[in-house]
Amino acid sequence: MASITVSGLGKEYVRGTSAVADLNLEVAEGEFLTLLGPSGCGKSTTLRMLAGLETPTSGEIRFNGRVVNDLTPAERNIAMVFQNYALYPHMSVRENIEYPLKKRGVDRAERRRRSAAVAQLLQIEPLLDRKPRNLSGGQQQRVALGRALIREPEVFLLDEPLSNLDAKLRSYMRAELIELHRRVRATMVYVTHDQLEAMTMSDRIAIFDGGRLQQVGTPDEVYNHPANRTVAAFIGTPAMNFLDGEIAPEGGAPVVRSGSIAIPIEAGRTGASLGRRVAIGLRAEAIRITEGGVPARIEIVEPTGHEAIVTVSVDGRRLVTRTAPDSGFRVGDSVGLGFDARRLHLFDAATGDTLG
Amino acid sequence: MRAVVRHGGDLVRQVLTWALVLALSFPLFWLISTALRPDTELFVRPPHLLPRTYTVDNFSKLLFETPFLTYFRNSAIVAISTTAFVIVIAVFAAYSLSRFRGRFSAVVERMILITYLLPSVVIFLPIYLMLSRMGLANSLPGLVVAYTTFALPFAIWLLRSFVDSVPVEIELAAMVDGASRLGAFVDVVLPQLLPGIISTALFTAILSWNEYLYALILTNSDAVKTLPPGVMTLLTSSYHIEWGLLMAASVMMSAPVILAFAFLQKHLTRGFGAGAVKG
Repeated sequence: MASITVSGLGKEYVRGTSAVADLNLEVAEGEFLTLLGPSGCGKSTTLRMLAGLETPTSGEIRFNGRVVNDLTPAERNIAMVFQNYALYPHMSVRENIEYPLKKRGVDRAERRRRSAAVAQLLQIEPLLDRKPRNLSGGQQQRVALGRALIREPEVFLLDEPLSNLDAKLRSYMRAELIELHRRVRATMVYVTHDQLEAMTMSDRIAIFDGGRLQQVGTPDEVYNHPANRTVAAFIGTPAMNFLDGEIAPEGGAPVVRSGSIAIPIEAGRTGASLGRRVAIGLRAEAIRITEGGVPARIEIVEPTGHEAIVTVSVDGRRLVTRTAPDSGFRVGDSVGLGFDARRLHLFDAATGDTLG
Repeated sequence: MRAVVRHGGDLVRQVLTWALVLALSFPLFWLISTALRPDTELFVRPPHLLPRTYTVDNFSKLLFETPFLTYFRNSAIVAISTTAFVIVIAVFAAYSLSRFRGRFSAVVERMILITYLLPSVVIFLPIYLMLSRMGLANSLPGLVVAYTTFALPFAIWLLRSFVDSVPVEIELAAMVDGASRLGAFVDVVLPQLLPGIISTALFTAILSWNEYLYALILTNSDAVKTLPPGVMTLLTSSYHIEWGLLMAASVMMSAPVILAFAFLQKHLTRGFGAGAVKG
């Protein structure tokens, strides 16, 4: 197992435009770190640089303190699972799984012993003599995992390994991967654009946007204490509501005001100086539909079974909130809104940085 | 009722198919039939579909009294060498065109295609001059060089589409799994290219086996003549065409091509790359 230290890492495919810029990141030994972000944000490029499949334009990558920039993928002792599994079509499942050992000169008897053990772990023993094309997507996925597991590598790199599976199988494999990580305790770097995968599986999440790292933190930290507006907007379903606002005094205490909405600011928030232009961030659960409060109108009701996502409008602006599924709201109803001041997020209107 | 109708449709299709097959294979049948009959039976009226007396005289005369075997050997050497050169060069060229995209890749691709579009009569003079300056005129290596230049552009294009269809991830996976770039190419790309290599090889071999114009221009001694010009000059003159011998020669010239197709056809149609990645 290895720890990974990335410092000042950058990649430019075309001179002047960075796919990844000035990336600094630590992955602890045995940690499950997820690189999360929209497509084109630099997360896959980062993973490929870790694998040695892309050459960084600047910066250093260290495994256990040793610089690996100039090592080939083969020399780095990593294993990688690709989005489309990348199984070798002309080889049987057993040959696929044994290939990394074969390339390292492990003898046949030892290869057989270890492929049998991996097949047992992943429950693919009956498939060993089949060809990849005769396997379902989920089975191919397991074979790809098996090929990664057999070598006991320093680092596992997983590039959107679940995104080709259907929804049901995906949630099943998610649980399997968590269990697998718990059992082998390997350092895993996992790339996904699916925040649900990131939130449920990771020890920590690194959120990327536009080639830059926005925040690294536990799922709880990135959800409850986003570093900036980009992170806040990306994490959470339904997405966070944003309103333009201004800090104003009201009866001696500061509030943040946006049209008819005024939310008191808790004491001790140093960034909220009077007169400052801000972006207000409110998660759906920070908005309650109540008697009285700010007048609003129900626009859309989307029941999901265990709750209902309700879109309301307040002087022409839409906000998304959640209620109990049996609350009985109908489109067109006039209601009042209450806001949870403790769950208020404030961001600088210009930079998007979180205000303390 | 419906089953009967469908059966009827099948029957019509079968009859049509067989009629077509018969019509297309009649010249081949007539070729063999003529090769196996004595000269006296060649021009009888009405013609016999099958010979009254079978003879292998045409074949034995061809093999033992003419330089046919030398031509055959020359054709085989030229076809095999050309195919070997073309495959080795085209596989690597196609791989680099597909995988290493640079600023000039598109230009290079278009130039390769343009060389293929030039009619061979247009370039035979420069090729002849170049080969004779290299001392390769009237020699088998000269023919191999000429045929390699003809077959290469098409071979590269054909193989390139096969390389394109091999997902690059399986190569990356092999490199992560411990292979060098060349190792990954040999272990996981080359096997996927096999159907493409076989079709390209067949195309090249047949092209050089059947080529007439350049063989006629570039060779003039019996020792280096290949089958097409050899047989033509051997068996036809302004006075007389030896039909029986010509047919026997044609049978023997066609046999290798037909055999090659018969054995390799299943590789040509076999699906490639299936199951490498989820489609």
